[in-house]
Amino acid sequence: MRKRLHMNPIWKKELVVGSRSMKMSWAIMGINAFLTIIVLIVLSITNMSAATSGYRYATLIWLFPILGCIECGLISLIVPVITSGSISGERERQTLDVMLTTPVTTFSIAVGKLGSAMSVVMMYMIASIPVMAIAFVLGGMSWWALLGLFGMLLYLGIYVGSVGVFCSSVVKKSVVSTILTIAIGIGIIIVTTVILYVVIATQSAMCDAKGVAYAGPGAAAFIMMLNPYSPIVDFMMRVMMGTGIDRLMEEMGTKSSIILAISRWWIPCSIVINMIISFIFLKLAARNISVTRNRK
Amino acid sequence: MLTIENLTKQYGKFLALDHLNLHIDKGEIYGFVGPNGAGKTTTMRIVCGLLKATSGSVTVDGIDAIKQPDDIKRKVGYVPDFFGVYDNLKVMEYMEFYGSMYGMERQEIDDISEGLLELVNLSDKKDAFVDTLSRGMKQRLCVARALIHNPDLLVLDEPNSGLDPRARFEMKEVLKNLRSMGKTILISSHILPELSELCTSVGIMEHGRLVTSGKVDDIIDASQGNQPIHMKVVYAETEEPLNQYVATILKEQPFVEKVSFTDDEVLIHFRGDDLEAARLLNKLFDHHIMVSHYYREKENLESLFLEITGGEENA
Ligand SMILES: Nc1ncnc2c1ncn2[C@@H]1O[C@H](COP(=O)(O)OP(=O)(O)OP(=O)(O)O)[C@@H](O)[C@H]1O
Ligand SMILES: [Mg+2]
Repeated sequence: MRKRLHMNPIWKKELVVGSRSMKMSWAIMGINAFLTIIVLIVLSITNMSAATSGYRYATLIWLFPILGCIECGLISLIVPVITSGSISGERERQTLDVMLTTPVTTFSIAVGKLGSAMSVVMMYMIASIPVMAIAFVLGGMSWWALLGLFGMLLYLGIYVGSVGVFCSSVVKKSVVSTILTIAIGIGIIIVTTVILYVVIATQSAMCDAKGVAYAGPGAAAFIMMLNPYSPIVDFMMRVMMGTGIDRLMEEMGTKSSIILAISRWWIPCSIVINMIISFIFLKLAARNISVTRNRK
Repeated sequence: MLTIENLTKQYGKFLALDHLNLHIDKGEIYGFVGPNGAGKTTTMRIVCGLLKATSGSVTVDGIDAIKQPDDIKRKVGYVPDFFGVYDNLKVMEYMEFYGSMYGMERQEIDDISEGLLELVNLSDKKDAFVDTLSRGMKQRLCVARALIHNPDLLVLDEPNSGLDPRARFEMKEVLKNLRSMGKTILISSHILPELSELCTSVGIMEHGRLVTSGKVDDIIDASQGNQPIHMKVVYAETEEPLNQYVATILKEQPFVEKVSFTDDEVLIHFRGDDLEAARLLNKLFDHHIMVSHYYREKENLESLFLEITGGEENA
């Protein structure tokens, strides 16, 4: 029996509906205008410094991390907005019940909602290629770096999107869901950083007491893998300086070869961990979807 | 076809369904009537697998709705009491969307949708946006949507609510077509005369229980002779206020249970047959009460419903 691969129906429908709304075209235009302005600012700063110290193309290389960070920031803000009404909106307009009477699982509803948010992210990315390409050519970046950046943006979009879909399944109001999504993101960053800080502080205090030199946080540093931005930081470091977080840990005094080996694989490790977390968020969202709320 | 046994649903402490038993045969149109809050929607949502029952069982065509919710979803089509549609989606895309949720191929969906849209009289709206349709059209589109996977049982929760008479008429035509196609339908409504015309059986529900259930004719026959008499009195020879005098006289008569007054009518709850009703009229003449009109209400589901549920509800 031939079983054809079906596209997630919810994803497909959102594409049709989304392509008809003008909101996206405006957003794409806005983002491109914003990126162009950044490029122009960096160019004019380079030009101005050229008057005093000669034209240095090398400063243009900073376009890469600047634009990269801006795109990450935009995704961290836009995706929560796109996903904020994904489930609560269906509930509000009373289309969720009918969806639940079909054999479509609540998990594929959640995945479809995430997928449609990702299509939007992809549109933004594709639309920003011209501006990015100019910046990259000027900065002397390789196309691999650009490709890598897009991969990172996709990964980040999936992560933020899963949290967003989850929040939308919990919270009724879109605005609240957007804020909650961003808050969860910031919360994870703060909590992991604070934990690492506390670990480092106690470890170094203990070292001081014993009178030995502090040799870095060691395996405790891996808690930062839970920070969804850490692989992006590692990626940026590698592109800009040729070395990643592993080097940082080595410099702090980490000796263990296993820990160093793992930290060399920071990007895949962290991405895998964070994708598992995304999956869990989606599963939780699916569970919330199947709970029919009090009506009226 | 559909069998509900001892179905109980509790919302916290509130008992919404109380050991409900119901059986619907294939090809039947079962009308579910009852005042607000009787538990109709709750029952229907459990049948569709949207809501978990506290206890009891629901089987559709031998499939347990509670144990096999996924299988039941392919057997049942549901039109909820309140539902929405998406913006920026065309009628045909709407059908495709729901068809694809059942894993149907696009071609198959299109073919079936053509027929269904014709059935619900929306063929000329194929390319219209769903959110621009009128309420009645949306309601009919929702019926077409619920039929996309050719379900064995169609569950309609108040498909007439909020519709104007014209739209109601059109909906009724659709339902009649479905009946002639031999579909099994569970339908709830407040508009009882329409149900009695359409349904093969009805169940009257109150406080989570079925008060009466059976073939429409049987129920009406069983309660023959209970309909009230409407009467208008224009003059009586008395010093007392007219209504008071008439009420006193009436209450002395056999078979009269209750007398009430509306603006210009006297409503007599009367237990006797038609001959007794005629005798009552003669008695009134004897008391020199002058009557301008006098008629007995025809038994229908509506009055029966009001009688059974205590007459508090306005349909
Ligand atoms: N989610 C809920 N939580 C608590 N109580 C509920 C819930 N849903 C329904 N009820 C209560 O259960 C009872 C039955 O409700 P249901 O909606 O089944 O009635 P209905 O017969 O469909 O009424 P209507 O004619 O208003 O549609 C009502 O008293 C209602 O208040
Ligand atoms: Mg109801």
